[in-house]
Order: sequence, then C-alpha cells, then structure tokens
Amino acid sequence: MARLSAEEKIQPHWWTKSLAGAVLGLTFAFAVVGIFAWYGPGGIQAPNKVQFNMWMISPVWLLILSFSFLFRTGMRAVLILGTANLIAWATFLLLRYTL
Amino acid sequence: MKIRSDILRTYQSIHTWTGITTGLLLFIAFFAGALTMFKSPITHWAVPENHVLPAISVGQYNELVQQATAQYETASNGFTLHFAPHQSPMHHSPMTWYEQGGGRGLSIDSHLRQASFNEEGELVSVANQQNVLGDLIDQLHRTAGIPGKAGHEDIGVLVLGVASALYFIALVSGVIFLLPTLVKSFFSLRQKKGANRFWLDTHNLIGITSLPFHLLIAWTVVVFAFHDMLYGGLSLIYGDEPMFERNGGSKQVYSVAELPPVERYFEAVGNMVDGYDIVSLTFADLATPRARLSIEVAGDGKLQRAAETDIIAMHPFTLDVTYSTLSIPENGAFGPLVKSFFALHFGNFANDTGRWIYFLLGMMGAILFYTGNLLWLEKRRKKQAKQSRSVTIMAKLTIGVCLGSVLGVATSILASKWLYLMGVDINLGYINVYYGVFIASLGFAFWQGAAKSAIALQALIAAFCLGVPLTTLINALFSHNTHWHVAGGTLLVDVMALVFAWIFFAAARKTRQRAYQGEPDSIWFIPSKVHATPGDSVQPKTI
Repeated sequence: MARLSAEEKIQPHWWTKSLAGAVLGLTFAFAVVGIFAWYGPGGIQAPNKVQFNMWMISPVWLLILSFSFLFRTGMRAVLILGTANLIAWATFLLLRYTL
Repeated sequence: MKIRSDILRTYQSIHTWTGITTGLLLFIAFFAGALTMFKSPITHWAVPENHVLPAISVGQYNELVQQATAQYETASNGFTLHFAPHQSPMHHSPMTWYEQGGGRGLSIDSHLRQASFNEEGELVSVANQQNVLGDLIDQLHRTAGIPGKAGHEDIGVLVLGVASALYFIALVSGVIFLLPTLVKSFFSLRQKKGANRFWLDTHNLIGITSLPFHLLIAWTVVVFAFHDMLYGGLSLIYGDEPMFERNGGSKQVYSVAELPPVERYFEAVGNMVDGYDIVSLTFADLATPRARLSIEVAGDGKLQRAAETDIIAMHPFTLDVTYSTLSIPENGAFGPLVKSFFALHFGNFANDTGRWIYFLLGMMGAILFYTGNLLWLEKRRKKQAKQSRSVTIMAKLTIGVCLGSVLGVATSILASKWLYLMGVDINLGYINVYYGVFIASLGFAFWQGAAKSAIALQALIAAFCLGVPLTTLINALFSHNTHWHVAGGTLLVDVMALVFAWIFFAAARKTRQRAYQGEPDSIWFIPSKVHATPGDSVQPKTI
C-alpha cells in the first residue's frame, strides 16, 4: 500500500462527523424506512408492520453513525450524507405523490 | 486482514471514548440483567413461606372467585388467578388482588391480598406488602440505578438508551480495529505475558464470541428507550394512515357473577394456539364498560413477547380477542418477526437452558466492560509510583461503581430474611440497603484508593454471598420460630450464592497478592510499611 499524504489520511473532525452521522444518519434512516413502510412487502396496512418499521430505524441509523468516521473530512460527511438524504427523501415523496 | 493505519487509529480512539464513557453504566445493567433471568427464584427465596397459600385444582377456581368477591369488596373489580405449576413465586397464591397500589409499573408499597381454600375447603386469605425484590433488580437492570422520571419515562432508561447507542458504536469500532490481529490472537489467552495481555485477550475473546448477543442488546435497548420518539417520527411518514388499529370491544356492563367458568378461558386459548399453558388471568374494571382480561400464556421453548410469557387480551364476558402476541395468522408476518427481537433480548425461548445461557452471556458482558476499564487504566498508567489524576479517579470509580453495585445487590438479597424479622417496610428496606451500600462503597473507594478498596469490597462480597446459604441454614435449623422452610426451588439461589462467594474470595486473594507482591509502578500496588523506605530496591517486574 502506498503511503498516504497527510491530506489523504482521515482527518479527525469529530464534531462535524458525529453530528452529520447522528442527524443526517437518522433522517436518512427515516426516509429508507418510510419507503419500506409504504412500498415494501405488505404495504402500509400489513398487521404489526408499524412495529417492525419502528425497529428498523435505529440499526440503519447506528450503522451510518458508526461508519461516518470513515469520511476523510467532516465536510465530506455532511455533503455525502446530505446528498443521500436528498435522494432518499425525493424518492419517498415522488412515490407518495405519484403512485 | 490489512486495514489502513489511519482507519485503525480513528476507530481505536472511538472505541476508547465510547467505551470509557459507558462502561460503568453497562456493567451494572449487564450484571443486574443476568440476575433478572432468575428473578423468580430470588424473590421466592426472599419471601416467607406463610405469605403463600396452598394451590388448588382448576375446577375449584370458580368457587374461589365467587366466595372471595362476595367477601371482599376490593376483589370485585379486578383480581388475578394464578395457575399451578406456573404460579410465579412473586404471587404464589391461586387468587390475588391489590388492596392498595398495583397497576402498571413498579410500585414498592402495593398491598396484595391472596386467597385460596384450605384442606377443609374453607376460604383462607392473607394480606401482605408485595415483595418486589425481583422487580427491583429488574429496575436496576433497566436504569443502572439512576433514579427519577422525566415525564412517564425513567431517566435511567433514557440514559442507558444513549449509552447503548454509544455501545453499538463501541462494538463496531472494536471489531474494526481488532480485525488485523484477529486471526493471529483470537483464541490465545496469554497469562504469562503480564496482566495487561491477559485482560486484553479476555476482553477480545468475550467481545468477539458474544458479538451477536451484544449487537442485539445494544439495538434493543436503544429501541426500548426511544420507541416513543421513533413512533413520533414515523407518524409523519404515515400521515393520515392510522399506525395502530383500535379494537373497540363490547361496552355493555356485566356483573362478576356472570363471569364464565375458567375452563372456558382454557378452551378459548386452546382454540387459538397449541403448546401454550395459561400462567395467569388478570381481570380489571369488571364492573365497568371497560372490563378487560389479560391472559399470560407460556410456551415451551417458544419466542415470547413479554419477559417470560405471551399475552392475550380478551373481553372477560364475551371472550372476544382484542389483541395477542401469539404467532397466529391475524398477526401477519411482521408480528412474530418483531416478537423475536423482544424474545432475543429477554432470552425466554429455551426454558431454563436459555436462561442459563443468557445469565452467562450477561455476566460475560459485565466482565467485558470491567476488563475494558482495566485496559484503559493499564494503557494510561506510567512507569512510576505516582499515577496521573485521571487514572486514579477512573480506577476508584471502576472499583467503587462495579464492586459497589454487586455488593449492594448481594447485601439486599442477604438482608431480605432479616428485614422481615425486623418487621420493617421490606421494599423500602431493599432500596435503602442497596443505595446505602453502593454509596458507601464508592466513598470507601475514593477514601482508601482503588487497590485497598478492591481487596476489601471483593472480600465483603464473598462474605455476604456466603451469608445467603448460611441464612437458609439458620432458618432451617430454627424454622419453628421463623417464617421460612427450605424449599427445593430456592436451593439454586443458595448454591449460586456459594459459587459467587468462592469466585469473589479467590479474586480478593489474587488482588491482595498483586497489591503486596506485584509491580510497584501500578495503581493496584500497596507499598508495605517495611519496604516503603526510599532507596529500597523493589525490583519492578518487566512486562
């Protein structure tokens, strides 16, 4: 493995990465679970599915939060997670108001 | 497996910080959680025999209900029927109801009246303060002993929810930075390479072998703590779609005399599902339009939704089912799936075998957090007699909090039978004993330092654990003037207390050896008076 220069290495940026992972990770988890809730197996009315949906939010959120520290900088974490949110929420809203 | 060194360093820092901030809380939660697997036998051990009334056959329950409700005003609105052999030691008698307190959640001043028939077939009844020792251990498990409420939530539950989110991150980061050396040193337990290596190997071995259990516990605890908020968020996604169906039952008012015979409930449950026994029937608000019946059913080796049972809610007079946690078609595919998450936290799916496995996993979890703290301390200590402030404070906290909570629980259990003899408020007694001992232990650790208090507290834990079977023995010898008789079901508690006494006795001896004969440049070293003269050469062992 080639030696990485200082800029190529992971920068600490604890606060921005933690906040990006905690906040944007959670909103992303809600969007993914929202799509699953409405358009996943059984649709929105399957019995007890609301409980399953609630249970699925935290693992998605915590995995994103755990791996947020792999972003090279805090700014990249915000940008990439922000874009992922835009895509996920746009998909959710598009499906909700067109289907 | 090769991982870039900057990633390893990043995740090592994350593991250290998430671990050291949550380890003490999680230690208490895991140690107490392991004990909750046997909260019934523990409560059974504590409760006097004369608080228990004789079991009766299923055919006698109808007569018991009619006679008891006729005689006792307090029973006519609601009561619980407990069926042998599932009679929980926490409410032993065939019929119980609250004369004071009761309801949802933990209440320490509930007065329970119990009723049964004696051998002559006459109605007998006793009223006692309900012993909630098992539930208090459960409360310690869920809150780590942090008191207070925020709204209707326990503050301790919310704190443990946050701690569990950090614990999840600690698990992920721990695995990441262990990966490069995992294959090489996984099953090695190097005892000869110094204490540090031994603690590290123990920590890694436990962490990796029980990783699925730990990931599951971290996830479920976050959900248990924050489900209200998560449902709140989901309601935005559901919009106008209702999240929960409302089942309106009959609104007609009936009288207790119209209750169907209990055999009808057995039939109704038998028609719904196979392989389940009725544990209890709890009737509430019988004389109102909101009359309810909650049935606890236990399945042999089944994943169950509550700690030890599944639940069926039905109308007590019409027998219309309004809700159930059974794996039946009405609950769809998602009901049983969600139920499995609960069951995997509670460890209720494999009877006593499952309970023992969860007990060991819980205790191993406590060891994981304890060794994690020890590693933090060892890593930061300097090769010098005087250690830094942060290290000594963390060492005192680790000893005071961890051993203090173990000692607090051991003392509370031991105190039980003696508190009954003193005639004090039993549940308040438990709480006072636990917090008194916990705070005293913490104070002792800060006063005397980590090394001395570690020896003393472990020795005390051993002594108090030994007191449990001794108390049983004393009671057996003098049972004519006490409330207890030796019962087979509680022998387990005595044997386990003896095992714990031996473990802590051995640990105290080891700690003592290290304190007087181990490395002097350590937080665990106690300089003996003879050797403490300056210039005296105490050769430090090399690690």
